[in-house]
Amino acid sequence: MAVPHYMASGMGGIRSAGDLVARMQFSKNMKIKDAKEYVAKKLGISTLEIADEHVMRELREELKIGVVTGVPGAPRGIAAKMNIEKILNTKINSCEKFRKMTRL
Amino acid sequence: MTQFYTRMGDGKRVTMAKKEIMCDIEDGIADAVDMGGVPALSQNEIDMLFEIISNKNRIVGVEPGNEVVLSYDIGQLDFTGDNGNSGNGVDVGRLESALLHERALGADTFELAHADYSIKPVKPVIANEMQTMEEIQNEIVAPFFYGAMPNGGLYYAPDGPYGNPADLMREFKIEEAMTAAELTANHLAKDIEYVATRMVTAGADGFNFDTTASAGDADFVGTLKGVAALRRECPNTYIMVGMAGESVMGIHGSIEYEGKIVAGTYPHQQVVFAQKAGANVFGPVVNTNTSKSLAWNLARSVTFVKECVKVAKIPCHVNMGMGVGGIPMCETAPLDAVTRCNKAMVEIAKVDGI
Amino acid sequence: MTDNKKALFDAMVAYKVPGIQAAVDKARKDGLSASQIIDAMGEGMTEVGVMFERGKLFLPHVLSAAQGMKNAMDVLGPELQASGDASTKRASVVMGTVEGDVHDIGKSICSTMLQCAGFDVHDLGRDVAKAEFIKEIKDGCTMCGMSALMTTTMTVQKDVIELLKQEGLRDKVIVMIGGAPVTQAYAEKIGADIYGETASETTRKAKTISE
Repeated sequence: MAVPHYMASGMGGIRSAGDLVARMQFSKNMKIKDAKEYVAKKLGISTLEIADEHVMRELREELKIGVVTGVPGAPRGIAAKMNIEKILNTKINSCEKFRKMTRL
Repeated sequence: MTQFYTRMGDGKRVTMAKKEIMCDIEDGIADAVDMGGVPALSQNEIDMLFEIISNKNRIVGVEPGNEVVLSYDIGQLDFTGDNGNSGNGVDVGRLESALLHERALGADTFELAHADYSIKPVKPVIANEMQTMEEIQNEIVAPFFYGAMPNGGLYYAPDGPYGNPADLMREFKIEEAMTAAELTANHLAKDIEYVATRMVTAGADGFNFDTTASAGDADFVGTLKGVAALRRECPNTYIMVGMAGESVMGIHGSIEYEGKIVAGTYPHQQVVFAQKAGANVFGPVVNTNTSKSLAWNLARSVTFVKECVKVAKIPCHVNMGMGVGGIPMCETAPLDAVTRCNKAMVEIAKVDGI
Repeated sequence: MTDNKKALFDAMVAYKVPGIQAAVDKARKDGLSASQIIDAMGEGMTEVGVMFERGKLFLPHVLSAAQGMKNAMDVLGPELQASGDASTKRASVVMGTVEGDVHDIGKSICSTMLQCAGFDVHDLGRDVAKAEFIKEIKDGCTMCGMSALMTTTMTVQKDVIELLKQEGLRDKVIVMIGGAPVTQAYAEKIGADIYGETASETTRKAKTISE
């Protein structure tokens, strides 16, 4: 049922900025409007644009926060999440573990 | 008289006139008002709902700018599972499944799940689950949870150490049944703490408690206690509490959380318990009646969920799968019905996610 | 409704055993017949079922009311038999969650509601082999209730109906089915007699069909 949900009302995850909005909902208990405004402000775009695939595709690659298409050399996983931490001014558990294990 | 294509709660296509659809919308709202004591939808909202249901297009969607977060439960089982959990029967690995959801299916969050999808059976394989969590966290970008059902039923005979309340009560051993339920709540809370804290140690972004209270009020209290313990030990972890049904079944009847009886509570009351325990996101559920129309079910669901969202201090991601949230009880839920439910939940109930 | 009948109805809805006992004692003292008392209590029990379904009363309350009714029946039953009045026991029902399915909460609540309504319930539990349903029917049960919570196991309900046909028992038993994925359309498709969306709806339909 993922396809109809996404088509009808989804933000699109890393196709746009859905993962970032989700992080603000879960880490700061932000309702959808506040979470979108927070992310849009941090990305320097409008709340309409954060769910716009055309805008976000290039921006995500530029910010090195993970892209939906397979781009060799583009950060993914922990590397992308460490960049997300900086942009959203938040901590991500797996990144904290990575830093602890690598003594970064 | 113009007829509109619509659906019944079991997914069957039917045609209805405007008057019939409006009548079902009003009846569905009235049922929610009567059962849950929630306010009715306004005339403007009723008109919006009719417009959504009667839309001539096969697929409808929210207006640009109104998109919401989609958080996914059941993990890889929606690919690997059988039809018992609406799975596709495609035996892909858990890493592949996670990345496919992130990269191909537009999921904003995803989760790792055990084949049995319950807290209790995860205990003996916790190290396996931790390893897989560590592996997938190295690859995935979107928030990645561990998910499981609290499933208090596994603590009652014949699966668990405590007497089965339903059996005991039929023998009028009411006190004994209530004691069994209380012991289950405490045992469940302990197991939640054990499993969830370890998964957070392995790098999980958080924990999704799915189909909470499926075994009734003691199951709900046990989960809330487990959530509170997890919040104490892991203050920054993401916690989602999703429900099993619209009302908490009173198997015990008077078991309390923080001095309040949980039995018989509806979504707008359940969310208060969840946020008090430390959840970040709440997942309200409203059940579909298969003998009623999509109009009746969706109106009723939206009425319940709208009040829940209004009362909540935390975001609400409404459960919208087979047989919940207005969606027909049908393994292959029709696209037209699903997308109508989405639009109504987002633009009328004002949910923060699905 | 007379004062005594109303008091019996109200006492059942209030579900306290001593209160039910007091209402029964007063009704008997005032000369109500055993069948009149049982009928009024039955109406109260039906209301208790409705309140349970709507989340206003919970399982222990339902059972407390049922216990009050059982206590009264221990006294009224022999009186009823002595007076040659109709039997108070409804049909014998075999209940179970079908083979391969371990979900039994909904089925157990349904069994409880049927028991409260006066049916003689033989609850076989969960993961019940098809042959066990057949055996109970051969042993005298005239109603058969089967629950399934999964789309993978609901087909067993159909298998049992087919077995009943093979054994020549289908016409002798009323088949009820329920469970989350089960629908009225499915009940019609496989030839079940009753589809119950909820425990109290099942009980209501079972009472109607067995009268």
